Amino acid sequence: MLWVALELPALPLQIAERAGASADAWVISEGTAQRPTVACANEAARRAGIREGQAVAAAKALAGELKVLERDPAAEVAALERLAAWAGQFTPMVNVEAQGIVLEVESTMRLFKGHAQLTAEILKGVRELGFRATLGVAPTPLAARLMARAEARGLQVRSCLDPRDLRTRLADLPLFLFDWPAETLARLTDLGVLRVKDILELPYDGLSRRFGQSVVLSLERLLGNVADPRRPYVPPPSFRSRIELPAEAEGVEALLFPLRRLLVEFEGCARGRGAGVQQLALVLEHGRKTRTRVALEFASPERESDFILAIAREKLGRLQLAAATIALSLRAEALIPCVPRNAAWLPGAQERAIERDRLIERLAARLGRDRVFGIALANDHRPEKGWKPGSDPRRLNRGLTPRRPVWLLQRPQRLITDDGHPSMQGMLEFVAGPERIEAGWWDGEEVSRDYYVASNPLGETYWVYREHRDPAAWYLHGVFS
Amino acid sequence: MLARLPGVWRGGELEHAVHATVPTGHAALDRELPGGGWPLGTLSEVLHDGVGIGEVGFLSGALARASGDDRLVAWINAPHVPYAPALDQAGVPLDRCVVIRPQSSEEALWAAEQALKSGACGAALLWLSNVKNQYAWLRRLQMAAEAGRAMAIFFRSTADEALSTPAHLRVVVSRENGELKVRIPKRRGPPLSSFVGLHDLRGYRPLQVGAVPRILTVVH
Repeated sequence: MLWVALELPALPLQIAERAGASADAWVISEGTAQRPTVACANEAARRAGIREGQAVAAAKALAGELKVLERDPAAEVAALERLAAWAGQFTPMVNVEAQGIVLEVESTMRLFKGHAQLTAEILKGVRELGFRATLGVAPTPLAARLMARAEARGLQVRSCLDPRDLRTRLADLPLFLFDWPAETLARLTDLGVLRVKDILELPYDGLSRRFGQSVVLSLERLLGNVADPRRPYVPPPSFRSRIELPAEAEGVEALLFPLRRLLVEFEGCARGRGAGVQQLALVLEHGRKTRTRVALEFASPERESDFILAIAREKLGRLQLAAATIALSLRAEALIPCVPRNAAWLPGAQERAIERDRLIERLAARLGRDRVFGIALANDHRPEKGWKPGSDPRRLNRGLTPRRPVWLLQRPQRLITDDGHPSMQGMLEFVAGPERIEAGWWDGEEVSRDYYVASNPLGETYWVYREHRDPAAWYLHGVFS
Repeated sequence: MLARLPGVWRGGELEHAVHATVPTGHAALDRELPGGGWPLGTLSEVLHDGVGIGEVGFLSGALARASGDDRLVAWINAPHVPYAPALDQAGVPLDRCVVIRPQSSEEALWAAEQALKSGACGAALLWLSNVKNQYAWLRRLQMAAEAGRAMAIFFRSTADEALSTPAHLRVVVSRENGELKVRIPKRRGPPLSSFVGLHDLRGYRPLQVGAVPRILTVVH
């Protein structure tokens, strides 16, 4: 087995800065309400001299104006779980741990053309999500985690693919990387046991007596001598994620960057489940409980973030936002199985159909659904009812109908007549006709007309008619363009 | 000597096979078009005055072919909704037609650009007048048409003939004595100074003898 561990150092800070870093100094506090301490400090706060572990009161003395946010462990777990759901696209075996996740990749490595490609892909994806992560690759999950942690602390560790190399690769890692109790670590330090190689030289029975069975067990798991079973994370059936903006965003453009992060997260999550959505709900939160809902709808299941972003951009572009936006959330209730498309050498009918659907969605998103439509024949002899909006691949066998004009006026236009003869920018001359159309007596919209093709001296050709009951009145109905 | 070298183009020749083309269905017109047909993957202009001289109809053969391979024909900002029975008669597949009715010229140009570059359209037809930065926009459409290998046709007034254009093909159509006259002031190659006459009114049923409407009589 081969494991990849992702470590997200300073996770509370990362969650808060996901939609962009703020220029103001702020810290995240933890500990008791009486004496809170600094858990994480942002870049501006660190420049002011604030360090992790300081009392918040001391930190406030260092920075003029310091914003203090309380640490939210539930939000951290939620963020890691969503990261795990996103990582489901790489392997079905993803496990959530404190400060990170581990993935079992042996079974899917071939799909991603080797571990180097795979880890590069994972790191790139994590960056697109708006997170920073360090990564460790090893035959046991614990070793991978240790390596990722070591890298987070600036130590260089080479990936380990072969279990036989594991002992030597781990030898120089410091013991404080383990999740052992502080007391255990302090006593080991007193004994001069600082590195993995030091502790591996000690007899297990002695270690077990002094420090407890758990230390020995973790060493055995580290080396792969004892199984380290993990339960894969099972994501919830629906997707929801939320991102807070670093500052109030006035326009729509500023929302696109954080929205992209949410969509990348959604894409990974949907990909992991082989699913897509036809409906996505995007909510812009404006504060004071006002919000704007934007529904994104697709003809076929979609998950590609770039495409959805393009649609959302058009939708958002049409909005008049009443207030500045402070947070975005994205929700997908019904994840529908979505068959992945094969990259084809020559695009076939399926790809064409997808391209067509996507173009029409993109146009409809900006122009409105009623402004983009197909046209089809309708089975009615009345010219105005001879077509209908929509798509209908059936062809109606009409027999030999005389030629019809390319443009049909929405309402027939009464023509000026000169001594009973119709004219339209000059006297009309009849070219063909008459064609009698009598239909519609059954539904009260009866027509009984004689149609003629007529052209004027400018060479413009029209389709004109007159009614039986009023033969003096001529109407223009179509234009032969 | 020079004449025998391949790849040397002489001023009097039409350029061949630079762009893919589709036959228009009018042999006389195809002969005058570089590549022997209406060009795909480039912007072309049809200049006409008034509606109803057959400025769309003479392209129906090309549109029918451009919609092959499952590609769409987009009607953008057309003066009226294209009439389905007429397109059906002209052989343009209706289930490939999409009508786009934008509310402003910006929307129309945006829609045309999207349609062209998507690759989903075999042809996009655009009607628009009075656009700001027209040349720059047409240039964008030209590039979009290249990217999507689509036929882009811009319908404009003959009054614009003096304006320069990034389009590779410009034709002016007019009707005289029942015949559609096509002039080609711009193409890849020397401009065509004479006219091509198209008898495109075939298919009209000739006027029946005695059927010339007598005014003020009820015809039954």
